Amino acid sequence: MSWFSRGRKAAAAQIEEEAPELHRSLGLTALFESMRRRGQGLRILDLGSAVGSNVEFLSQLGCKLYIEDLFASRTAAPDEEILGPEFFEQLLTQPDDVQFDVVLAWDLFNYLQRKELAHLATVLRKRCRPGALLLALVSIHKQVPAQPIRFRIRSESELLYERRTSVERPGPRYAPAELNSLLKGFRVDRSFLLRHGVQEYLFVREEG
Amino acid sequence: MAWNKRDDQPTHPEPQPVQPRTAPAPAAAPTPAAASTGSASSAPEPRRASSERATIGASILIKGDLSGDEDLVIEGRVEGKVDLKQNNVTVGRNGRVRADIFGRVVIIEGEVDGNVFAQEQAILRQAGAIRGNITAPRVILEDGSRFKGSIDMEDKDAKGAKDNRPHPVETKPAVQAG
Repeated sequence: MSWFSRGRKAAAAQIEEEAPELHRSLGLTALFESMRRRGQGLRILDLGSAVGSNVEFLSQLGCKLYIEDLFASRTAAPDEEILGPEFFEQLLTQPDDVQFDVVLAWDLFNYLQRKELAHLATVLRKRCRPGALLLALVSIHKQVPAQPIRFRIRSESELLYERRTSVERPGPRYAPAELNSLLKGFRVDRSFLLRHGVQEYLFVREEG
Repeated sequence: MAWNKRDDQPTHPEPQPVQPRTAPAPAAAPTPAAASTGSASSAPEPRRASSERATIGASILIKGDLSGDEDLVIEGRVEGKVDLKQNNVTVGRNGRVRADIFGRVVIIEGEVDGNVFAQEQAILRQAGAIRGNITAPRVILEDGSRFKGSIDMEDKDAKGAKDNRPHPVETKPAVQAG
């Protein structure tokens, strides 16, 4: 059960959490508006860590939730500077006929290099229905926390940011045009630059 | 606690299945039904309350299917299937389960590599980890727990009622306290 022992190691590496911050999320609002129009039974892929209150919140929308903690899997992977396409292929363990309607990428793009982002997009393009939505929160700051933030959905328009470490590392500061070119098969549907230095993107999986 | 050995189990004398020891739950007071000594009748036997539970100790390895009629605490290792649909199943901190688990309330404090099916509730404690899917009307994931898989919280009763409605009704989620 290597995933378990590696997961423990990753968890042990966590540093003292900081006080959470509440922020408005226009991207989340736009996402929920769109989800309501599509009705119940949506399949949501959450690439972040498991957050109990998010599970409860999303379940009230009648969604089926799939959680694949990308960062934990990355931590567990053998030390490689850039993760190859195999890693991303193996990340999603569901049968191929499971097609997602929504992907919650949270701030994970801040922790992926350009090639890795392209590999992730390749996998997601295969596993998402045309028209599927992808929510990503990209920092415009030079530095980002050393670990992804844990986002807790407080309402359809508010997110609680729970930093899990005070240690920082350089962030990639992806520009909109760059994201558009890296995420082949997806296009930016809407984006919102927020006061606290986060640009929220809502991508749409294109046809074909 | 019944023991059902699987046909495909190897015959070499690997760790032998050990009859789990049965112990009374520490703080469980007998319910009126459990305390009753009513005479034999045609009435259906009430389901045994959780006044009894079995524990699989930390040094025990069980390969095969587990089924029975009392609550179960797993502190050892189980590989196969745990089928206690009417009872509570707890995988303790030392528990390592590579099996699908069926229970009424399923509580995970150790590690499970398999699917969890709970009739009422599945709880993944902070120290717990599941790699598999959870199907239960109510699921609680404590922060810090590790989970990889899908969560299906659709209530079958509610689904049936919903399907009978003439028109679909959207539900609005309540604002969470955090």
